[in-house]
Amino acid sequence: MSAGDADAAASGDEGAGLYVESTIIMTTVRLVAPFILTFALFIMFHGADSPGGGFQGGVIAGSVVMMLAFAYGIDSTRQWLDVRIVSALASGGVFAFVGIGLGAMALGGQFLQYSEFEALFGHAIKYAIELVELGIGAIVAAVAIGLFFLLAAGFDDLAEEDSS
Amino acid sequence: MTPTEWGIVALAVAGAFFGGVAAVGLVRLPDVYTRSHAASKSDTLGAILAIAAAALALQTGLSTAKSVFLLVFMFITNPTAAHAVARAAQDQGIEPWTADEGDDK
Repeated sequence: MSAGDADAAASGDEGAGLYVESTIIMTTVRLVAPFILTFALFIMFHGADSPGGGFQGGVIAGSVVMMLAFAYGIDSTRQWLDVRIVSALASGGVFAFVGIGLGAMALGGQFLQYSEFEALFGHAIKYAIELVELGIGAIVAAVAIGLFFLLAAGFDDLAEEDSS
Repeated sequence: MTPTEWGIVALAVAGAFFGGVAAVGLVRLPDVYTRSHAASKSDTLGAILAIAAAALALQTGLSTAKSVFLLVFMFITNPTAAHAVARAAQDQGIEPWTADEGDDK
C-alpha cells in the first residue's frame, strides 16, 4: 500500500462527507507515510538484535493507517482498506507463525525450534525468526487497525453490525 | 574543551531552554489554541536543538544519520500535529480565549 493509493481513494468521495480535508495534513501524511512503513519494517527485521520486534513494528505499521484515516477521513480509509484485507492480514500472520512453529515440529524438533530448518536451506534460523516477526507484525497491525475502525464506528453502528 | 564540545553544550542548553519555555507555556496559557502554539513552536525548536546536540555528540556514521532523520521528521510532523489539533478544536466549535473574558476557561 502506498500514499498514492490512499490519495486516489480519498479523491473518489471528495466532498461527500462532513469532514473537510486539510491540505497541510494530507501533504504531510503523504510525505511521511512511506517512511513510517519503512521504519516499521526496519523495527520488525531488527527485532532479533536491537530494541524492537514484530509487536512494535506492527503497532507502527498500524498507526500509518490511523494517520491516513485522520488525514483523509475515516470513512474513505475504511472503504479503501476493506475489512477483508485486514482480517486476511491477521490470519496470514497467524498462519505464518503457526506454520513455522508446526513445521519445526514436523521436522522432528520443538515448537518454533528454528534450527530444524537448517537442513533445508542455509541461514534458516535468521529467515525463520524474521518470518515469525513479520507474522507477529501483521497480526498486531491488523488488530490495531481493526480496533481503530471498530472504535471509530461508534457503538450504534456496532450494534447494527451485530444484529445484521 | 574543543569547539565541537562547546557546540554540543550550546545546542543542548538552548534545547533545554526552549523545552522549558514550551512547558511553561503549556501550563500557563489559557486555552487549547495558545497552548498548542506554545507546544508546537517552542517544543519543536527545543527538541530539534537537543537532537542536533545528540547528533553532534555521537559523531559515528549510523547513529548520526538516524538522529538527522529524527530531526527532519520532527521538523515536519510536530507542527503538523499541532495544526491538526488546532483544526480539530476549531471543528468542534471551541471559541478562542480573549483577554476580556477574564476567566481561565
